[in-house]
Formats: sequence, structure tokens, C-alpha cells
Amino acid sequence: MELTRRHILKLTGLGLTAPALLAACSNDSSSGSGSGDGSVKFEGWDYEAELVQQNLDRFTTTSNIKVNYTPITSAQYVQKVVAEFTGGGGADALYVYDDSLAAWVDGEYLQPLDGLPGVDEVYAAIYPGNAEAMTYQGKRYGLPYYTDANCLTYNTGILTKAGITKPPASLEELEAQALKIKNAGLLEYPIGLPAQLSDTWWSWVWALVFGSGGNLFDDQQNPIMNTSDTVTKDVFAWLQQAANKSKVIDPASLQLLPVPIDNAMKANRYAYTIGARYASRDYNDPAKSKAAGKIRMALVPSLDGKEHATVSNTRMYGLAKDTDVKDDAFKLLTYLGGYDEKKQPYTAKFWFLQRGLGFAYKAMGSDPEITASLKKFADPVVYQHLAEIAKPRNVLGVPWYTEFETEMHKVVQGVLSNQTQPSAAVDSLAQTVETLKKKYS
Amino acid sequence: MVALNRLGFAERQPLGDNAKAWALNAPAMVVIALLVAYPIGYSFYVSLQKNNLKRPRAKRFIGFDNYKALLTDHAFLSALKVSALFVLVVLGLTVVLALILALVLNERFRGRGLLLSLALLPWAMPGVVNGLMWRTIFDAKTGALNGLLSQLGVIDDYHAWLTSGTGAFLFTALAQVWNTLPFSVIILLAGLSTIPSELYDAATVDRAGALQRFGQVTLPWLLHPLLIVLILETMNAFRAFDTIYVLTGGGPGDATTTIALLDVQTVLTFTDFGLGSAYAWVITAITLLISVGYIGLLYRKGNFEV
Repeated sequence: MELTRRHILKLTGLGLTAPALLAACSNDSSSGSGSGDGSVKFEGWDYEAELVQQNLDRFTTTSNIKVNYTPITSAQYVQKVVAEFTGGGGADALYVYDDSLAAWVDGEYLQPLDGLPGVDEVYAAIYPGNAEAMTYQGKRYGLPYYTDANCLTYNTGILTKAGITKPPASLEELEAQALKIKNAGLLEYPIGLPAQLSDTWWSWVWALVFGSGGNLFDDQQNPIMNTSDTVTKDVFAWLQQAANKSKVIDPASLQLLPVPIDNAMKANRYAYTIGARYASRDYNDPAKSKAAGKIRMALVPSLDGKEHATVSNTRMYGLAKDTDVKDDAFKLLTYLGGYDEKKQPYTAKFWFLQRGLGFAYKAMGSDPEITASLKKFADPVVYQHLAEIAKPRNVLGVPWYTEFETEMHKVVQGVLSNQTQPSAAVDSLAQTVETLKKKYS
Repeated sequence: MVALNRLGFAERQPLGDNAKAWALNAPAMVVIALLVAYPIGYSFYVSLQKNNLKRPRAKRFIGFDNYKALLTDHAFLSALKVSALFVLVVLGLTVVLALILALVLNERFRGRGLLLSLALLPWAMPGVVNGLMWRTIFDAKTGALNGLLSQLGVIDDYHAWLTSGTGAFLFTALAQVWNTLPFSVIILLAGLSTIPSELYDAATVDRAGALQRFGQVTLPWLLHPLLIVLILETMNAFRAFDTIYVLTGGGPGDATTTIALLDVQTVLTFTDFGLGSAYAWVITAITLLISVGYIGLLYRKGNFEV
């Protein structure tokens, strides 16, 4: 067949039509939000997507509001949401990390919830730390999905064998107990910490600093770790000593991510670690863990042996600024993060009972059903107390936080491997902050 | 000129060869322009902006400021140093090992086919899987390397191999070499197969030893394949990301933070698209310069008459 101009024009026309056809087949999101059919477009990272869908189906049945749910892989969640909102096709309601909140508000992706029905009631009922984490520049932007606080997790089986009857209150005591376990030949390195570089925050470093009553920053986000607050330096000094002098912290920690630490705890290979309370549920699950029934949680040991605080994180549900279905989207938000018609935080309770996700509602701690479930893997009193003393990082609202966190991981690795002295480490962190502030100014 | 048919209508003339060639290639060219040229051009445009997704309202054109900032950017300079060293180690090991393996596989012996298949196997492995595999091998508690060395009596206790800067760097380089070696072997093997056997016969008649035959016959004939290996492996090593990311995450400290790792981190974790794009263009420029250098050094030397 001869190729003529007519053929070329036909093919060109077809070529031009194809993208339009493809666009027609794709999900309509060009309006900035909404699914185009009146349903609420809802996005979250892909944790237990089937359970999420199950819960959303219940919402649709009771409210008659359709929800178009899209789970997004956790590792790319922030990037994909940012890309969607930048392209004008974000969700109506979505999960929000506490350390993404400020950026997403500044990016004009989210709208405040102040004044919407039930929001004041929710904020009055949750722990102050969670309320603080969901508030930015005086406005409230989220309803709580789940929260967690860091604790010292220990294996009573190993402690008992070493003749230790109670968990340590101070870092000195923790080191002494670990040394006792080591000298008894029970474990070569009784303490394991997840210290391989990764994109996730190292909650245990913050927990150790907060646990001793210190902070890395003042309320204006100025670095104080090398000036008025010596706690960070002293915590680093303890870490260095425990890793290199008494050698009770496993040197392999530098090549361990959280999951291998979890596996080691479940295999009775560590006596202590510092991490989220949530992990104890798995550690004490006989189907998954050899250490089931032996794992307990305690307050994070401090430099002076006194009780101070711990660090918490908050995951929340946010409402898109440009949503076309605000009323329905907020109803969904209320169902997920607020109270139901019986004045119960239905979804928060659902997640705790199903998967042990920490709750922000204070009253849930005295709910008999919750307490009964909690007793299977933790002491409810300790669990609740940790929630009460937990506080969020006070630099979540600054744009350079992620860069600082990443740099802090490298500095702490240097401390653990004896390459960096504690005083140099805190100086380096303060210098990093100054550099980042200049970069973002 | 338009011809008229019997009814007096203008008859369509078939397109000329040139026009046909353009017409047939146009769709591919449009696709390439959209999928390759446009993103490349756009990334350069983004590199001239202050463009961090965390601060969309602060987005603005800043010319070459991102590039100027690199000169005093500690993270960038450190990553550049690590990358340069990484390229040297990976390239050195790859060229030597690939040459040895190609020379062995060029001989005829029983089991050659099996050995060839085994040697090519790592190439089929994605970088992430390669990283995961080596992480398991280097594991401080249950790693195969510890097990092997312990059983051989080389070590008394298991070691955490990736916790020292030097150890992490060398083992990461080794994992990278293992993954990319087969490609170099194929190229060199192809080069070896083109060497006329008469040259070896003549050299043997002239009483040249094995080393002399290698130096006087094999090596000059392999200069062009070696050039390809050097260029491609330099690019690979300079852009190495997935294996390092999985194995060490760039640590301990900055020991294995290469420029590619820093780039991905800057773009995806810090969402700084402006600076990240500038990093990417610097990587491109450096690899281009090195490649031009290789060509200048080796191309003419390998260009001789048989």
C-alpha cells in the first residue's frame, strides 16, 4: 500500500485522539479533588488496606456516602501525595504524618478544622501531646488516626536468669544490668538499637533525650543541645560508653533496621531495646515470637533515674483545602478520627482491638474491653502512663526537620562507633541547624 | 506537480522517500521527545529554581545559584569524594576480574557453558535484590560470611562487617562489582572472539610467552571493548544507588553516601527538586567528561590495521 498524505493525516488524527481516549479512561481528578461522582476520594498509606476498606464499607452502609479509597505504598506516600496536590488532583481526605503537617499546610493542601462540629470535643478528649502534634500555627488540622509513645522494652526471661528483678530507672542502672547479663554469659550484647541509616526517624534518640528531661531545641526551634541543655551530650556520652567501653550495646546495631531488631527481640537475642509500645504486641504473640509472655515495657531510663518524659508520634486524618465534597469528607473524618453517634471513638477502638494501634483518647485507657486486650501484651498502667508523659518533637513545623533528622542519624552513628566525641557531636548538630536555617531562609 | 485523472480530479501523489522516512519516524521521535528530551530539559530548568515541595510558595527562578552552592556544600563534596573512590575501586576490580574471567571463558573446556551461565547470573539480578542478598550474607548474627570464616577458623567471633566506614565501603563496592561484572565479561568475551587466531600462531612461532602474547596481541585488540567497559562501568558506578541504599543506607556516617544516593535523598526525602536536579546534572557532566577522557586516551590507540 502506498503511503499518501491522506494516510498520514488519518494516522496523525488517530495519534491525537489516543491521548484523549486514554485520559477519558483514567480517573477524573483534574478538578483538584473529588472522584467526579460525588464520592469522597480518600487516600492513606497501605497499612492493612483490607481492614481500612472493611471499616470504610461500614461507613458507607451507615452514612450512604460513597468513599473511593486508594492505598499508597508507605515508602512513597509523602512523595505521591505531594505530586498529586502539586498536579491539582489530591484526595478529599487523607492520612497525614505529624512531620508532614506543616509542609502540607504551607503547601495549601489542607484546611483547618477549627469550628467544624465535634472538633473541640475531640481535642479536649485526647492527650495534649497529640493535640499539639495536630496543631500548626494555632490552627487544628487533624483528627487522630493513631499515636504511639516510646518505652524501654525488656525481656523478663533474660533478666530473671541474671537475677534482675525490676527494670532499670536510670541509664547507669541499664548499663549495669546489661553488664550483669553479659557477664553471666546470657548474651554478648544485651542491648539492641535500630541504628542503620534510613528515611524513618530514630525515635529512640529523642526518647532518650526527652526521657532525661532534655531537648535538642528551645520553643523557637533554636538548637540548645550544645549550649544551655547538656542532656543530649550526656546521653551521647552514655551511648558511647555503653557501645565501646562496657560493650553492652550491640555494635551490629549500625547495620540493623527496626524489623531485624524486632526479630531479635522475638528470638530472645536482646534483653533490651527502646522503641514504640506497639511492638510489644508482636513480641508477646506466641504465634510470632519465642519471647512471647516475657516482654514487658517500662519508662525510658534517664540520666538521673527520675521520671521525665518520652517522645510520641501522631498520625492523623486531614481534610483537603480544595475539596468539593467538604461536608461528606468531614463526616468521613469524624467517623475515622472522631466520635460516632454513641459518643464513642469507634475507629480508634477498632484499630486498637484489631491491630493494637495506640489511641489518642484518654478515656479509652479505662475502657474494660481495651484494658482486657491490652493486658495480653502490656501492663495497662505503664502503657497509659507513657501516653500521659509523651510529647512530640518541637521541630515538626520547621521545613528543615527531615534534613536535620537525617544528619542526626549520621552523627549518632559516629558516636556509637566511637568516631565522634559527644561534645563534637552536639556542636556538629547545632552547626547543621544553622546551615539548614540559612538554606531555608 | 499534481496530475489530473480522467474525471478531472487531482490525483494524490505518493510521498517521496525523504518525506516517508520523516513520517514513519515521526511517532518515535515525538515519543522520545516527550519521554526523554522533555524531562531532561525540564530537569535542567528545575535545577535553576529554588524548588522544594515543602515550600511551594517559595518557588522561584534563581539561575545558577544551586550550582554555585555546590562549591561549599559539605554533603555534596563529601559524596563526590566517596563516589570518586567508589568508581575507582569498582572499576579497578571490575576490569581486572572481568578480564580474567573473559580469558578463562574464551578457552575451550568441559563445563564452559555451565560456567558461562553461572557467571552471567548476577547480571539478571536487580540492584535491590542484590543489596538484600549481600545484606543477608554480611549479617552480623546469621550471615553466611561469618559462618564461612568461622568454620574455616579465620575468625573466632562473628563480626558486624558493615559497621566500620572502611568495611562498609569495601563490602558495598564488592556487592556492586558482583552485580555488574557479567556485563563487562560479555563485552570482553565478544572482543576476544574477534582476535584472529593467526596472530597467536605467529606470536607462538616467534617464541612469545603467554604474558607477551597477552601484552602484544590480546590487550591491543581489546582496547575498544575495554573502552566500552570503562565508559559504561564508570557510569554505572557513578550512578550506583539501589545496592548501597539497601546495604548501608549510605552509612555509617557518610562512608557510603555516594552522589547518586545523596541525589535521591535530596529529591525524594527532602523533596528539594531544585538542588536534586542540580546534583543530577553534575553527575551527568562528570560522567560525560570522564567518557570523553577515555575516548581521547584509548580510541586512537586501539584503531589499527590488521
